[in-house]
Amino acid sequence: MARVTALGQAALRWVSILAVLILWQVFAEAHVVSAFLLPSFSTVSVRLYHDVVSGDMILAVALTLYRAFAGFALAAVFGVAIGILIARISVMRWFFDPLVSIGLPMPKIAYLPVFILWFGVFDASKILMVTFSAIFPVIVASWAAADGVEGVLLWSALSLGAGRRQLLWEIALPASMPQIFTGLQVAMPISLIVEIISEMAMGGEGLGGSIMTEMRFADSPGVFSGILAIAIVGAVLVKAMELIRRRLLLWHPEALAG
Amino acid sequence: MRSAVVRYSPLLLLAIAWEAVPRLGLVDPDTLPPLSAVLRAWIGLLRDGDLAVNGLSSLQNLTAGLVLAIVVGVALGVLMAWYWPVEVLVNPLVRILYPLPRSALIPVMILWFGLGAASKIAAVFLGCLLPVVIGAFNGARGVEQVLIWSARAAGATSLEVLREVVVPAAMPEILAGIRNALALSFILLVAAELLISQRGMGYLISSFGEAGAYDAMFAGVLTVSAVGFFADRLYLLVMGWALRWRG
Amino acid sequence: MTGISFHEVSHTYRPPRSAPTLALERVSLDVREREFLALLGPSGCGKSTLLYLLGGFLPVEAGAVTVAGKPVTGPGPDRGIVFQNFALYPWKTVRQNILYGLEKQRLPRAERERRARELIELVHLGGFDNSYPAQLSGGMKQRVAIARTLAVDPAILLMDEPFGALDAQTRALMHEELLAIIRRTPKTVVFVTHDVREAVYLADRVAVMSARPGRIKEIVDTGFAGEKGPALTGTRAFADKVEHLWDLVRGEAILAQTRRD
Repeated sequence: MARVTALGQAALRWVSILAVLILWQVFAEAHVVSAFLLPSFSTVSVRLYHDVVSGDMILAVALTLYRAFAGFALAAVFGVAIGILIARISVMRWFFDPLVSIGLPMPKIAYLPVFILWFGVFDASKILMVTFSAIFPVIVASWAAADGVEGVLLWSALSLGAGRRQLLWEIALPASMPQIFTGLQVAMPISLIVEIISEMAMGGEGLGGSIMTEMRFADSPGVFSGILAIAIVGAVLVKAMELIRRRLLLWHPEALAG
Repeated sequence: MRSAVVRYSPLLLLAIAWEAVPRLGLVDPDTLPPLSAVLRAWIGLLRDGDLAVNGLSSLQNLTAGLVLAIVVGVALGVLMAWYWPVEVLVNPLVRILYPLPRSALIPVMILWFGLGAASKIAAVFLGCLLPVVIGAFNGARGVEQVLIWSARAAGATSLEVLREVVVPAAMPEILAGIRNALALSFILLVAAELLISQRGMGYLISSFGEAGAYDAMFAGVLTVSAVGFFADRLYLLVMGWALRWRG
Repeated sequence: MTGISFHEVSHTYRPPRSAPTLALERVSLDVREREFLALLGPSGCGKSTLLYLLGGFLPVEAGAVTVAGKPVTGPGPDRGIVFQNFALYPWKTVRQNILYGLEKQRLPRAERERRARELIELVHLGGFDNSYPAQLSGGMKQRVAIARTLAVDPAILLMDEPFGALDAQTRALMHEELLAIIRRTPKTVVFVTHDVREAVYLADRVAVMSARPGRIKEIVDTGFAGEKGPALTGTRAFADKVEHLWDLVRGEAILAQTRRD
């Protein structure tokens, strides 16, 4: 291990990704399985390129991101608010504790038909489904974070003359930020997963909707180019969350250490 | 006992509200059938065997996919941590595929394996694999060098070190990874069944929804919620027992 | 037949993503059979590296490390090791930890159980057989670690700052227990420490190491072989030895500090 340099390892990583792509291409070209089951990497890339140029893919990505973000934003705002309120107000804790402890591990995807029944199959329904699925980890993380704020931090702020409201905004919230953000980092991929399932079930374009249409028409290059696009979107979002975390938490030991 | 009643009283309030709101005509009973109607529908499902057939089918596919993911995932994760060539080959793929929203796999699995059980098992397996791999990899990589050294000094072979030291030491993270996988397995299975299938709880829920039998639909939704919740609780108990050494 | 010899041993660490460091430079040192030798030096002087080479955990890259005339090629049950942070298997109970090495020796089950019982008594942990390490205090954990190592009855005992994580009181008790154990089952001991008093009190000879790159700077005979006991620490001779060694080590520590800055 020690003899393989860091640079060599980084190079090997790219080599292995490249190898998989080449393997995909060769495997598909050799027609071990039919082109329907596994279209070659080049076919899929060309298709993706065409879909991007024609604007179809841009529209699909935009729609999916809009609804996933809207649902995520609602989950973030209400999740953080509810979490902090639970930590500070005993009635809130009494009411939400059993709901959250059941809601967090419960498979919320089963409620999809309920959302269709209540809110129809358009944007509002998908957005609310995303919020419902993503809000629980945010509540739990914010609750734990607000519970864990050290008393001495609050005392020292009080003795320096902070008021109750300032205590929340200037001390409690920033001190809870690392943990809250961890909750948001859990909620973001859930939002995307659920948004895509909702589109598959309800239609209405977007990445999930168009993949489902393509599958129904047995358009396998379309399905695979959709997957490729979803993979890219997912990777970019996860990376973006990491970057935002680092920017927001510059003061935190984890940022200083790295 | 008293404290449990106080603790869970919000659920009771919610149940009462669920019963009262449609009965008082505040919402259309079609949109929200009263709880009693849902429970009656549930008993009906139980009696005519719909619940047993579809529940069993879902449970089988879930277990098959999950067990496969655990076995393959733990082996792959530990090997990645232990033999650097495996790490160099597999880790980049894991990193690229990890952020992929797992639900995107469902259509491909249906393309590949059709509408039956195989596509559901494959979707659960592939969807749950990476959290297990990553848990096992991080756990095995984080094993303290001195633990390995002291086993070597006692005369353990490298296979024994792997089995007797690395895997048990990695167990907390392996089990945490499996808990994530458990949650994902429900999402993937129910989603796949909701979208396209002829059997399973998701199928049951969506077909009642399409048929307008909303009391039965709610009964199905509640069943899946309860099973998912209790599966997680049961898993936590098992996990606590397996990690009782953590003190 | 447990004489240990280091001959012109050098060792370089090559951490990924940073410059290699020379940890040991041409170290030569002999440890006699049934001798208690302490390796004393400032942190980062390579004393643990020397121990790990002897344990067979690190490959010998330059020079030779031999035990009873044979070169060290890997870890083995003839050289038991006790680490600073105990290195207990947290998922095994006290008894299971102690049994682990005995299982590797392929001893019959009854014999294994008998040995484990004996050792649990030896380190005064009777009644804690089925406790997990997480339930024990630091001193108890270290006694388990020592028992686990002694269980396979190694001829050589390697100790890597074994008492460094303990409070002063527990450490003093552990010193007495260690000396009692060695009196009962004589062994060759190589004991790494940065605590001067500990080295003088426990060891027959103290090898003082220089700051990085590590070299043997001086070997001091303590000469208290027969008269060890709590009373010894109050004597003039003991104080003089400690002062002499302290002067040697302090110079190296200051040197190491200025180099780091």
